[in-house]
Amino acid sequence: MNFTGKILLVDDEAHIRKFVGLVLKSFCYPTIVEAGDGLAALEAFGREKPDLVLLDVNMPNLDGLQTLARLRQLDPEVNVVMLTSLTNRQTVEECVRLGALGYIRKDTPREEISAQLQRIIQEFLDADAAPETGATPP
Amino acid sequence: MSGPEPNLPTELNLKGSKILLVDDDRLNIRILTGILSTQGVTVAAAASGEAGIEEYARFRPDLVLLDVMMPGINGFEACRRLKQIHGEACAPVIFITAKNESDDIVDGLEAGGVDYLPKPFHPKEALARIRIHLQNRRFLEYQKSLVEQLSLANAAKNRFLGMAAHDLRNPLASVRGLAEFLRDGTVGALAPDQLDLVNHIHDASQSMLTLVNELLDLAVIESGKLRLEPVEASLGQLAAKSVGLAGMYAAKKGTTLVFTDNANPDRTMLDVDKIRQVIDNLLSNAVKFSPPNSTIRIHTQLSPGGVAVWVRDTGPGIPDGERHKLFKDFGQTSVKPTAGERSTGLGLAICKNIIEAHHGSISADNEPDGGCTFKITLPFAQ
Repeated sequence: MNFTGKILLVDDEAHIRKFVGLVLKSFCYPTIVEAGDGLAALEAFGREKPDLVLLDVNMPNLDGLQTLARLRQLDPEVNVVMLTSLTNRQTVEECVRLGALGYIRKDTPREEISAQLQRIIQEFLDADAAPETGATPP
Repeated sequence: MSGPEPNLPTELNLKGSKILLVDDDRLNIRILTGILSTQGVTVAAAASGEAGIEEYARFRPDLVLLDVMMPGINGFEACRRLKQIHGEACAPVIFITAKNESDDIVDGLEAGGVDYLPKPFHPKEALARIRIHLQNRRFLEYQKSLVEQLSLANAAKNRFLGMAAHDLRNPLASVRGLAEFLRDGTVGALAPDQLDLVNHIHDASQSMLTLVNELLDLAVIESGKLRLEPVEASLGQLAAKSVGLAGMYAAKKGTTLVFTDNANPDRTMLDVDKIRQVIDNLLSNAVKFSPPNSTIRIHTQLSPGGVAVWVRDTGPGIPDGERHKLFKDFGQTSVKPTAGERSTGLGLAICKNIIEAHHGSISADNEPDGGCTFKITLPFAQ
């Protein structure tokens, strides 16, 4: 997949960042920037201007939902996909309401996570290639 | 658990019990007080039904001895009012009756009394009856507190299980995923010995993840928090997807899955993830318990009122006398997987709960020519 953009990967667990990073690198060529909590994510977002943010929900300092809201204030067009473990329907609905593109379950098999990420990045590439630049509804 | 352990009430000792005497006859009160005080019972007395009801609220007795014929409201009415005011927690009421009032006994029992004491009193009989009813009450209270403590303990266990399982999932999923990257040579080729170790890490994390997921499912089900998110979907299509995925690990054992979809297109209201989980579980069981290189047949069929999936394996079937274990928590039968696979004994219990939450049914039957067929049926969308 011909994606060479910058991805901000936010999770308080280093092994998750490692794992998701490896999954991403297995099918595209992103520059990956990591952050270990919500505050670090906001700081990294301002500094790195990533194309896509993968954002954990349960984190210390600023949780995923709070971080998402702040990111949207900084950039209303920001592309955020939530990283969740067990799906909590309320949390997911709240994320979508706050403007996340979708969510990925971290505890599913690698092939599934990979397929979901590929779909998201493909949509991202398609939206980029499309002549009109509008929000793509999920 | 917090709180003291309830002690099994074994002693018939009346000492320390509180008994309320309600009788307009002072002599009766004196006689009964005499009998009871020899046993260390604390006594309070009232001379009418109305006064008895008032005294009850203050004294909080363990038992009430209640005369029937009194000025003002009679004993039966007083008993009814006590029961009305204090409900289930009301102390047992024993009526005091003259011998010739025995016809009234039925009325008394209907008013909520537990027994009667005939006048004149025989001290031993009176004490024996009082003792029995106090004892019954203690047993009842003991039973109640026991049930309460058990359900609290069970809820705490489920919370603990849920939390533990939840916090174990992510790290385990990472261990499994990172081991896969190592195994696939993403970060450099491995020597055969190294690959062997990595495979062990992968398999161990995989089976632990399965166990944790099943424990978590069980905790959710037991705590009554199993929530379905039903959407309109096709059971046949779900089964097809599951068969496609299961084919990969079945192939490792040389097992072939043959799928016939006779139901498509069916429309059913179901929770896609949960029903997938059930079908996946039936398929993995079928592969697990059938000998290597066997053929497992799966088919769907419309039936009156619903749609069904059959999974037929070529394993040893359900042993005689072990059928009752099949869908129970940790209800492993004596049958073992044929290639050293693991089994927690939770999978089918979870399946049963999920299917029943869908108002469907799940069953298993041995085939006359060997093997076993599992069948799930779901009702059509309303």
